[in-house]
Amino acid sequence: MKGTAAHIVRTLLLSLITLLGVSVLIFLMLRVLPGDPARVLAGLNASAEQVARIRADLGLDEPLLSQYWQFLSGVLTGDLGESARTSRPVSDEIAVRLPATLILAVVATIIGTIAGITAGVVAAVRRNSVVDHVISSVAMMGVSMPVYWLGLLLILLFAVTLGWLPAAGSGEPLSIVLPAVTLAAFSTALISRMTRASMLEVLGQDYVRTAEAKGAPPTTVIIRHGLRNAFIPILTVISLQFGALLGGAVLTETVFGWPGIGRLLVDSIGARDFAVVQGIVLVYAAAFILLNVIVDVLYVVIDPRIRY
Amino acid sequence: MNTTRARRRTPRIRSVAAVAAVGLLISACSVSDPEAPASDEGDGGDATFSIAVGIDPDTFDPAGQTTTTVQNMVDYMVETLVTVDEEGEVSGKLAESFETSDDGLTVTLGLQQDVVFHDGTTFDAEDVVFNLERITDPNLTVPLGSPFDVIDTVTAVDESTVEVGLTRPSPGFLSALSVTTAGMVSPESITADGNTNDNYQRPVGTGPYTYGDYTAGESVTVEKFADYWGEEPYYDTVVFRIVPEAATRESLLLAGQVDMIILPPVSDIESLQSNDDVEVLLAESDRTIFIALDFQDPLLSNKEVRQALNYAVDKEAIVDNVLFGAAEVLDAPMAPSLFGYCETGSYDYDPDKARQMLAEAGAEGATLDLLTPSGRYVQDAQAAEAIAGYLREVGLEVNVTTSDFPSFLSRVNAPHTENTVDMHLLGWAPAYLDADFQMQMFRQATHPPAGLATSFYTNPQVEELLAQADVETDPDTREQLYCDASQVIWDDAPWIFLWTQSFPIVHSTDVTGIGSTPTEKFDAINARPAN
Repeated sequence: MKGTAAHIVRTLLLSLITLLGVSVLIFLMLRVLPGDPARVLAGLNASAEQVARIRADLGLDEPLLSQYWQFLSGVLTGDLGESARTSRPVSDEIAVRLPATLILAVVATIIGTIAGITAGVVAAVRRNSVVDHVISSVAMMGVSMPVYWLGLLLILLFAVTLGWLPAAGSGEPLSIVLPAVTLAAFSTALISRMTRASMLEVLGQDYVRTAEAKGAPPTTVIIRHGLRNAFIPILTVISLQFGALLGGAVLTETVFGWPGIGRLLVDSIGARDFAVVQGIVLVYAAAFILLNVIVDVLYVVIDPRIRY
Repeated sequence: MNTTRARRRTPRIRSVAAVAAVGLLISACSVSDPEAPASDEGDGGDATFSIAVGIDPDTFDPAGQTTTTVQNMVDYMVETLVTVDEEGEVSGKLAESFETSDDGLTVTLGLQQDVVFHDGTTFDAEDVVFNLERITDPNLTVPLGSPFDVIDTVTAVDESTVEVGLTRPSPGFLSALSVTTAGMVSPESITADGNTNDNYQRPVGTGPYTYGDYTAGESVTVEKFADYWGEEPYYDTVVFRIVPEAATRESLLLAGQVDMIILPPVSDIESLQSNDDVEVLLAESDRTIFIALDFQDPLLSNKEVRQALNYAVDKEAIVDNVLFGAAEVLDAPMAPSLFGYCETGSYDYDPDKARQMLAEAGAEGATLDLLTPSGRYVQDAQAAEAIAGYLREVGLEVNVTTSDFPSFLSRVNAPHTENTVDMHLLGWAPAYLDADFQMQMFRQATHPPAGLATSFYTNPQVEELLAQADVETDPDTREQLYCDASQVIWDDAPWIFLWTQSFPIVHSTDVTGIGSTPTEKFDAINARPAN
């Protein structure tokens, strides 16, 4: 466990360099993007003088290096700047939107994990049966179906036709059901396929046969001997999926009018709101790094043989 | 031994599930806004009216407005001095009378009495002075502020009379006072409740509704103002739901979860029209959509070529098949709702004539680039593709490029160079309903980067007519000047004249009293149940 702690400290220190790299990249990418933030902000009817004044207000007329330094020193003191579009602090903008995305990603991951592992285990245990084929086909559909299309179909069925669930927004407790299920479709499919493959490999091992031979009940064999040993690659897929959900929920958030951070990012890119885009990307990067550290620890918990 | 361990696991799995369930519950509660009222699901018990719109507000400061959707929300809370009707005629609101002096340099406003702001202070002449000075302050960002540049002085003559001195006669000025930008907010509120002059987020006006609540990306709520001076609205609460996806807005309406939506998917307009549960309003808009032609391009500087391009495109067919009928083909270089509009002409689809004119101009088989934004206007990129198709039919090579709007804008809003794109699709909606605003598109003074006259068109005759119209105070003469200018512009064809797009509003047949203004706004303040 000592080695693990050292590993985590090392990872976190290295991640500072990663974050610095991310900050440089996003800063430069925004500045080579065509489109003048001051013009977008000033509106189509603004005069050249107004645009020039806004450019000066935003500090966009200063040299790149000095702009970057201001951004970086701001970040170090916990100040991500102010949104050009709404004049609100970037940290407030993110604080309002991030929880909605996190909740959606967590719920979708829980659904995806439970459903995916269950389906994967069943498919592996009853391999080549009808059940297995049905699960595989459904999983194939889940992986290939565009989120956008699935979301609209679910809205049509559950909100318009049946009238059971809210079509959009996050104002009611049941609001999360449709976006979470939509978002979970892909993860469920992916996790079930990974579980099936990984389980099949493990179930063929000698120790599983031994366990069966000494008379352990089938559930014990499957879960204790099978799933636990098959779990490392599944966990990797789950964590990667969770990361993807954090950043990739934009379409789902748009279809369901879910007030998450993905939509804010897209709106901000469209408005060339540099400070907000930089802030969100940094938060994403930090979240990914944190997620990796957590998963590293979980590996050790699940498989004590793993040492760092 | 294994068995016992496995059994020990079960409760742990259960507790994980329990934690997950609790987490789910907490999470659901923490996103939901307890103060946001649920929409009335048709039973009408709580007197809430909900409207689904597509845009998340950037600012509630009237002075900071850019999009009509957000202006629409602000209009519930903040009122203007005058309003403009569908023919472009000005009528009173907070100013019950208005008069322009003979020399056109002084506008006198007589204010409505007994009007109070939401914070309880009385609305009077000093407030008008404060607000008009605020929107002409060079240190404040006022995106739609250009019409107010002519303001020289604002004086409170007495409690209910204001005199506005102008630097030059400006016939469009009264009309401009109807724009949300010139809305009247309480001077005290500028520094109250967390507001600042640069960051004014909780508007305090004189409107029928007060600011209630805003949840970013989710909803805006306004509540009925008890001391409103005008006609009392029916609903206690109005909720604007922010739903970016058009198909989802449509679903919300069909599921009865909102009462009204704007901008449904255009491809569904026909099926909505045949649905008895909803009513579709295809509101007239003042937004002209056109292909701007680079007037300084060696090829396009030839009038024959520009006219040929106009003849080559079947506008009616594109409106029917690509815009699903949600537009009206232009017959003048401006929308019919503007003061100064008169029916000017038409370029009826005639590919043979187009081919012949191109041949005479030696432009057969020429290559042209066409740039279009995507998702900014109704079916913009799709329409551009259709137009390119028609131009190819008459033997031209056309390369279509799509772009997001900021990139698009940086490309067309730049000084003319040899890299200036040959043709681009653009929409222009005058902030107030006067030809004065539309004509910015045809004047040298507003060539990019100073303005958005992106075809770089100029004609001394037009400049002369518009210069006269600028200072003409007689409405009839001014109207005629714009008609004459329109005639020259139509003949010069600096654009492929396309259409004015409609602004579709769809509402449940359970509600009534919903209308529109020609500036792409809905008018639902006086909405009420149908029976």
